[in-house]
Amino acid sequence: MLERFISVSSEEEALAQLNAHGEELQILAGGTDLMVQLQQSGQRTRRLLHIEKIPGLQKISYNGETGIGALCTHRQIVESTLLAHYRSLRQAAAQVGGWQTQMVGTLGGNICNASPAADTLPPLLVHDARITLVSQARGSRVVDLEKFLLGRRHTDRHHDELVSGITLSQPPERGSDIYIKVGRRSATEVAIVGLAACVALDEHRRLIEDVRLAVCSVGPVPKRLYEIENLIKGQEISDSLLDEAGEMLLELIEPIDDVRASKKYRAMVAPRVLREAITCCAQNASG
Amino acid sequence: MSLLGENLVRTDAVGKLTGEARYTVDYDGKDLLHGSLLRSPVPAGLIKAIDTTVAESLPGVRCVITAKDAPDARAGWVLREQALFARKQVRFEGEVIAAVAADTPEQAREAVAAIILDLAETQAVGDMETALAENAPLVHPEWKSYQPVSGEDYPRHGNIASELMADDDAVDVAFENADLIVEDEFTSNRQYQAYIEPKSAVGIYRDGRYTIHTGHQYPFNVRDRVAQYLDVRPSQVRVIGHSIGGGFGGKLDTGLEPYAAILSKFSGGRPVKIVNNRTEDILTCPSRENAVIKMRSALDKQGNLLGRELICHMDNGAYSGEMAFMPSVIFHLAGSVYKVGNIRVIARLVYTNTAPTGAMRGVSGVYFCAFQERHMDHIADELGVDRREYRLRNLVGNGDTLLSGQVLDDADLLRKGFEKMEEAAPWSQLNDNKKPWHGIGICAGTWITNSMPGSVQLILNEDGTVTVVTAATDNGSGAVSMGITQIVAEHFGLPADDIVVTMPDTDVAAYDGGSQGSRTTHIVGRAAGIAADELKGMIFDVASGMLEAGRDDLELVNGQVGVVGYPDSRISLGDIAMTATWTRGPLSASGSYTTAPVPYNPGCASGMLFPFFPTPTYHVHLAEVEVNPVTGNVRVVRYIVVQEVGRVINPAGVRGQIQGAVAQGIGHALYESLRIRDSRYLERSLEAYRLPLAVDMPEVEIITMEHPHALGPFGAKGVGEPAIILAPATVACAVSDAIGRPFNSIPITPEDVLEAIVGKEKQL
Repeated sequence: MLERFISVSSEEEALAQLNAHGEELQILAGGTDLMVQLQQSGQRTRRLLHIEKIPGLQKISYNGETGIGALCTHRQIVESTLLAHYRSLRQAAAQVGGWQTQMVGTLGGNICNASPAADTLPPLLVHDARITLVSQARGSRVVDLEKFLLGRRHTDRHHDELVSGITLSQPPERGSDIYIKVGRRSATEVAIVGLAACVALDEHRRLIEDVRLAVCSVGPVPKRLYEIENLIKGQEISDSLLDEAGEMLLELIEPIDDVRASKKYRAMVAPRVLREAITCCAQNASG
Repeated sequence: MSLLGENLVRTDAVGKLTGEARYTVDYDGKDLLHGSLLRSPVPAGLIKAIDTTVAESLPGVRCVITAKDAPDARAGWVLREQALFARKQVRFEGEVIAAVAADTPEQAREAVAAIILDLAETQAVGDMETALAENAPLVHPEWKSYQPVSGEDYPRHGNIASELMADDDAVDVAFENADLIVEDEFTSNRQYQAYIEPKSAVGIYRDGRYTIHTGHQYPFNVRDRVAQYLDVRPSQVRVIGHSIGGGFGGKLDTGLEPYAAILSKFSGGRPVKIVNNRTEDILTCPSRENAVIKMRSALDKQGNLLGRELICHMDNGAYSGEMAFMPSVIFHLAGSVYKVGNIRVIARLVYTNTAPTGAMRGVSGVYFCAFQERHMDHIADELGVDRREYRLRNLVGNGDTLLSGQVLDDADLLRKGFEKMEEAAPWSQLNDNKKPWHGIGICAGTWITNSMPGSVQLILNEDGTVTVVTAATDNGSGAVSMGITQIVAEHFGLPADDIVVTMPDTDVAAYDGGSQGSRTTHIVGRAAGIAADELKGMIFDVASGMLEAGRDDLELVNGQVGVVGYPDSRISLGDIAMTATWTRGPLSASGSYTTAPVPYNPGCASGMLFPFFPTPTYHVHLAEVEVNPVTGNVRVVRYIVVQEVGRVINPAGVRGQIQGAVAQGIGHALYESLRIRDSRYLERSLEAYRLPLAVDMPEVEIITMEHPHALGPFGAKGVGEPAIILAPATVACAVSDAIGRPFNSIPITPEDVLEAIVGKEKQL
């Protein structure tokens, strides 16, 4: 009989377990979401595969591109000097729950939990994150995060697969990025709206050469805002441009009423956050 | 050396830090059973049948009980209206219908789930407007049959659970003659006490008596209420106190205690423990009530207040608890800070099919002050007068009276409070240097020190220490672990380590009015002083024989008695106690105290009147807030409290109470809210209920005004509650100032703020 709690200490062991029992196993990689879900749903019979002891998945590295091991904790990300140019990701990681959850919760866990409100997902999306998955049967594959996120709490991970790492694109030159989280409190909040922006200016630091935008908590799955990016790209920032971007945003998101905030508030605040994010990034990039 | 004004470490600190402190939930034993309750899933309904046969047959189940097993009795703090189990009608989501005792908590919960409940949901009265509408369904169709716990019945009818009216025809004249009338409507929502420790209780039935273990603010109230529910004499119930993981008023009436008690009786006397989970605790907490106040003021050309009319509706929920008294809080406060001319107060407590509301720190005063202060700002703005200046102009002073006729002897302290505040934060300077999106508020208030009786027995032990036997509880405030301890130590010149304070036990200590209304240090401290004086008399009697000196020549210094002027003559309290015990019997003395009533006009109002406003204290607060124009979030960047305290016994304790009360008040003002939709709470967990965090709080600047009270212990008055009274008021005034729009609803959410900002932007 399968144990209720299986703790593995190597990737091979994990993949073997997943290969054999993947459909029955829930991967435990920090557990800051999972434990709450188990408690709330009363699913005491769920079998857990504990992977935190697997060596090598806790590293942040640079080998021509920036890689983050799936088991890196949020605090590690906040404090990593290698991620200095991914400010939005560090800002997001610093706002996941509180210190306690940041010490325990992992990036891989946050991604696979695929919460509509996952703080790390908008910054990962604006940095074109790619997810590496491994399985015993088929080896490894790399998927764009955007394609990996299929829906609310639903990803492209197959039952026998393990997310091993995340790679980020090079940060743009003359660029700046930011993550803005809207919440009632300054910590331990589930985002009411979360928005990441990455803006690069042209050589004259006047026109927007590149812009990438992503949001969470305003739809079933965090997503990029390509339409707005296309609107802004090549333009100079102006009030009217930002107004237009804000109006477009309302077409692209599906805010809902929940206990944290009303649909009305989300729709009211999201364009303001967008304006603030783009303005801040452009200001930082110009200096 | 005097211990007064010293930061002694609280006596329960180490135990609470190391985990040695025993909370009710820690109660254990091999014969312990676990209880669980079946609660109504609907806000209003009629029970057609309850089938417990399956539940009773489950493994580990010892008993399943319902209304048919309980005495046919109704209980209540003021009005006997609530049965232990709903018999026919359920009146709020969470009302108890049945109880189970089993060997494990899981078995108990499974048995509760197996009870088959045939319940027809009926139309619920979800809010006060519905309740007060003509032909509204009655929450209590049998309201006329209910009896008050003591004394005469009071004005109540239909869905109005209690009504207080103070009328004056001159009010109408004032409005007729007014040059300006300023009118406002305010609303405030419910606040959860949100203590760390959810409620729990252990009940044991043995030899015809019930013993209750509970971490409770008011053990004697538990005794009395359990006795009512179980239809026994109060002395048949013994309540033993434990460490309390916070209360804030939420643990002043019974919660789980009577259920644990009756389950034990039906389980052959084995102890039964019941522990709320957080959701149960929220759904059934006696939260601060939601309220609506309409306030209008009549003014002459110069801006003088000629009269005021105030209509207050307070949501009682389904049962009254102590709420029946609360309309009189509104009545007293209405004339307590400003001279408002002739005044009419109508305060109504309204039944709804929602969880019963109750006492929370500062009770109804918190929202009353918020509304009064916002109204004062509104008037000042209409008149074009500076807000601080307008308050000073209308402030009450020494010799002014409340609406009850009670004379305020020390009300000049309000003006002094403004002066102290001005020294700390000059008003015009703050206004001149105000940054964009910043706002400031300044507010004034008075608050009571609860007068309920308390008692202390002091025993001089043979090792020279003093035991304090009292039913006073330390709900975390430090009133016992610092206040009473330090006061007794001071009386005997002993170090605080030589004072032992017992946990409350209603079999051992005499009556105590509970940790409420900032009363413990003042009332019980005074009782301790009376006992100390008597015990010192006995000590001198014995010492006089031992030292062969006249009583009048003796002094008690640093725990030793000696002859004045002869330092070598000293004998220790231990030697005195030992001698006394074996010659004349052990030394002990008792003291009791309650605030004496002050003269008032009995005809001042009709209704359930708490007759006086005991031992008032005086307060001025100032807040500066910063509004985030992108999100509407508000941050309190500076908060200053000028608080009159009588006398500081322990500065760290005073500081902790003020900082904590302001935090809880900011929580009420900006974050916390139990919202009701379809008669049910939307916030059902701490994930949903937004308690502010330490990082959201300013470091409160605290200025204490010492004005020793003749009857207080070394002059001390109540400290624990007052700082919450003005926190929502001051924050609301500051936010209104920052945006230039009135915020007359509490809490002020980012949504409200952003809506106001967007509204203003559209105007530009």
